[in-house]
Amino acid sequence: MTEIEEQLFQANQEREKIVLKYTIGRKNQLVDYWEDPDFGLHYKTDRYGFIHTEDLPKEFDEQEKKEKEIEIQRAQKWLKMVKNWEKFVPLNREKLYRRIYKGVPDKLRRNIWLKMLKVETQMKANEEDLANNKPSVYNRMLQLGYKYSTEIRQIDNDINRCFRDHEYFRERYSTKQQQLFNVLVAYSMYNMELGYCQGMSTITAVLLIYLNEEESFWALNTLMVDKKYAMHGLYIVGFPKLMRFLAHHDRILTKFLPKLKKALDKHNLDSVLYCLKWFFVIFVERIPFSLVLRVWDVFMLEGERVLPAMAYTILKLHANKLLKFKDMDSITEYFQYKLHKNFGYSDNYVINALQTSMSELRAKKLDLPPPAESNEFPKCELGTFIEPSIEKKLGLRSSIFSETEKNVTDLVITRSEENGNDLDIIDENQDDNISNLNTAGSTTPIRRFKSMNSLNTATSIATSVNSISSEFNQNDVDDDISENEYEIVESTRL
Amino acid sequence: MSEDFDFLFKIVLIGDVSVGKSCIVTRFKTGNVFTERHTNTIGVDFSMKNIRIGNKNIKIQLWDTAGHERFRSITSSYYRSAHGVLIVYDITKKNTFLSLQKWLTEIRSYTANNVICALIGNKCDLTEEREVTLDEAKQVCELVPEILFCLETSAKDNTNVENAFTRIAEELMNRQSCINDDHDSNNIKLGQSKSVSNGCNC
Repeated sequence: MTEIEEQLFQANQEREKIVLKYTIGRKNQLVDYWEDPDFGLHYKTDRYGFIHTEDLPKEFDEQEKKEKEIEIQRAQKWLKMVKNWEKFVPLNREKLYRRIYKGVPDKLRRNIWLKMLKVETQMKANEEDLANNKPSVYNRMLQLGYKYSTEIRQIDNDINRCFRDHEYFRERYSTKQQQLFNVLVAYSMYNMELGYCQGMSTITAVLLIYLNEEESFWALNTLMVDKKYAMHGLYIVGFPKLMRFLAHHDRILTKFLPKLKKALDKHNLDSVLYCLKWFFVIFVERIPFSLVLRVWDVFMLEGERVLPAMAYTILKLHANKLLKFKDMDSITEYFQYKLHKNFGYSDNYVINALQTSMSELRAKKLDLPPPAESNEFPKCELGTFIEPSIEKKLGLRSSIFSETEKNVTDLVITRSEENGNDLDIIDENQDDNISNLNTAGSTTPIRRFKSMNSLNTATSIATSVNSISSEFNQNDVDDDISENEYEIVESTRL
Repeated sequence: MSEDFDFLFKIVLIGDVSVGKSCIVTRFKTGNVFTERHTNTIGVDFSMKNIRIGNKNIKIQLWDTAGHERFRSITSSYYRSAHGVLIVYDITKKNTFLSLQKWLTEIRSYTANNVICALIGNKCDLTEEREVTLDEAKQVCELVPEILFCLETSAKDNTNVENAFTRIAEELMNRQSCINDDHDSNNIKLGQSKSVSNGCNC
């Protein structure tokens, strides 16, 4: 066996091992105790299935109760609507819009999502196969995926980290974990240009809270390739859609929240740092889950325009607070954790604000960025087999950055450099603000260090250190470099 | 409070998927508590911690990057302004150690050339499943000039986690003091050049 063949053999074995664990499931294997999160004996599950070990605030319970009451009242209307969806919706679009913004009863969310994401229509197309005793597209893709998907290791890794605080996903190889694995593996086969990208596991897990396995597969497919959502372009190598939407987000900020934009730039907080996660998982784990669901409902109704509108809404609602923060750390912590734990506004309030944002943006023709180019959509027909590269088969990182990848890196660097340039101007003119700048420390030397570093000009520190140390080396050749430098510092201090 | 520091260092964590980068960050941030389970890091997560070395307050910015290859075009843009890089591998997965070469290539293409790196072998509590020995790591360390030291950590047992950051911060602090002195104090600069020229003349 050649070396490559041996590596391929090992990669295959690893894949088979992972597949086996998911196919036999939790009951038929020993799962190490540390594989599952331990919530202790006292925990509470909220209405969406998430586990909380801390006592939830009373108002949370109260709010849940109230919501449930309102939902029961609304459920009747919704039930009627869902039953007659195909007839009702085209004639009553306004009513549908109004009702979705008001809030979908959680019990009917499943039916509504199935309708909005055209799951049933896609599955109907399968019926012919089933009638002819052929396995459904989903099952065929799944079986192929078990054998050939190069994404299995990554998918397995991500399932291990996905919603482990949710009752469905907390146990390793639980039924829902099995389903999550299957849907992602099958989809990585069905849409091989996309394969699998982090973020998709979170999206699929949310779908699986409401839908079954095969339904989730088709719902995921709609979100990826339907022009209304087109998340395919968000996840593929080079992230063309992400880049387009980030640029648009910046445009919106410049127009509507210039002061905040300036403040964020000043802290060197490029929007890629917070928007990437917002867009990739449609705000999951960045805002409370109850609000996520409301945003998802609106997203399914309105499509991709909800992404920039919601990003704008979050910033608008929290602008005053964000403006008060004195450093980048506080702002990112606010984005990453605080807003998820407590958004500070009721879900209804936020959804109203979102609606207002959408009309505001539409009025200025800023509700959507310039249209996508063809590279954001699948080129091959879905279900087409594309031979993976040998590195992919072996599960190794490819050593060379593709042109697309290089362009993205350059683009992200240019973005932050533009912020950096602003920073330099501020640096010179507004000395009193300097302590607030994240890149600038409270002491002048650090600032110099940083600016040398980021501009990549001037003699780099390493060169100056090395030149000293190399000269120093002539005195004391045997010592290793780092120790030398240490000694220089010591001696210069004396 | 947060502005009350003498040094600010930006440290980026890189390494293959699931080697425990985010666990190391959390452990470092929370000290003795290890309860959080991690979600996958999409793109880059940012956090920070203040530490004290000697009589200096040091603020460490932690840039925790996604290990998923697809994100490298984005994460690599964050290496550029880093002062220090922790290259993390999993001692129970040889593959993650073998990726080192590729991580180095990425570092070399995208960082400033003064960046310092440390090689961190995480999950050292799982001794029975070990696939990479410390000696192997040390050998690599000697061959690669950017890597200052290697260390095995366990984010789970809280072994060496703080140590890893302290060592890299110390090193950066020393270098920075060196530069500060070089630029800001003529006396010291003179003194230094004198000693160096003495050396040369000998």
